[in-house]
Amino acid sequence: MTTIEELVEANAISRIEVEMHPRDQTLRLLYGTPGFIAWLGELAKDSQPERRLGEATAAEQVDDLFNTFLSGMPLVYMRQFRSIRAEKNAIWELKTPDIRIFGWFLQKDCFVAVFGNWADEVKDHDLYRGYRIAIRRLRRELGVDETLCVQGVTPGDVLSL
Amino acid sequence: MTCFHFDIGSRARHAGRFIGRVRGELLRVLAEKKARGGLPQQALAEKLGVKRSLINRQLSGEANLSLRSLADLAWAMGMEISFELKQPMARAGQNQPMTTSTVRHGQIKYINGGGKQVSVFAAPADPEPEQAKKSA
Repeated sequence: MTTIEELVEANAISRIEVEMHPRDQTLRLLYGTPGFIAWLGELAKDSQPERRLGEATAAEQVDDLFNTFLSGMPLVYMRQFRSIRAEKNAIWELKTPDIRIFGWFLQKDCFVAVFGNWADEVKDHDLYRGYRIAIRRLRRELGVDETLCVQGVTPGDVLSL
Repeated sequence: MTCFHFDIGSRARHAGRFIGRVRGELLRVLAEKKARGGLPQQALAEKLGVKRSLINRQLSGEANLSLRSLADLAWAMGMEISFELKQPMARAGQNQPMTTSTVRHGQIKYINGGGKQVSVFAAPADPEPEQAKKSA
């Protein structure tokens, strides 16, 4: 049985943190695969072409989403997170106006981000199925079994709301 | 343990989180009113005389929210807006924030558990080529 510690030791996943308000504490955990962290680094570099729908840049949107998640604030179901398909060991999506992040919950309040992409690319090319299959394959390769996958698909199963 | 610190700089962080907080508050109130059986987006749109799709895009963050549209939405939801600027105040026992770049999307820091840190300059303020710095 693989543990979170073993995944971290093997560099299969790494903790992701953001600057938090001095009066906030980390109440949830966020991990990313090396590929996701590389994508996140590119996003922060602002090297991507300027594409945004709202006032905030994509990097600002992701920082706000991560801060909301990590500091334990409520996330709005469907607007900010949802499961791709209602199934056992579901794949979940974290959302901002311009960005989509795919991964799964190791435990309640503990998310592993595997893929990040622009929302319009995900929707235009209908990438949901591909990401879902790729994440399920990655979990198999990492030896992640049901003990490291939240089974439920209701919002309260994955987040303390 | 390896840790990735996603740092976009103080200025961008303040802007992004303020925008997110405003929108989040609108969504929260709307969800609460919806749960009590009232005020769907269509009703908001009719009350304001605009298309439902505009309300949806404003709430989802896909369209800009001007101060007027924010005031209009609050009025249509029957809510008051509270806005205040105040000096940041340190309180006893609070965390000590790290010092970060205030220029655009600043440093991205990879921090190792042993106190070792690797920094990648994301968008340098000066015209120097992009570089990776390592410090033990």
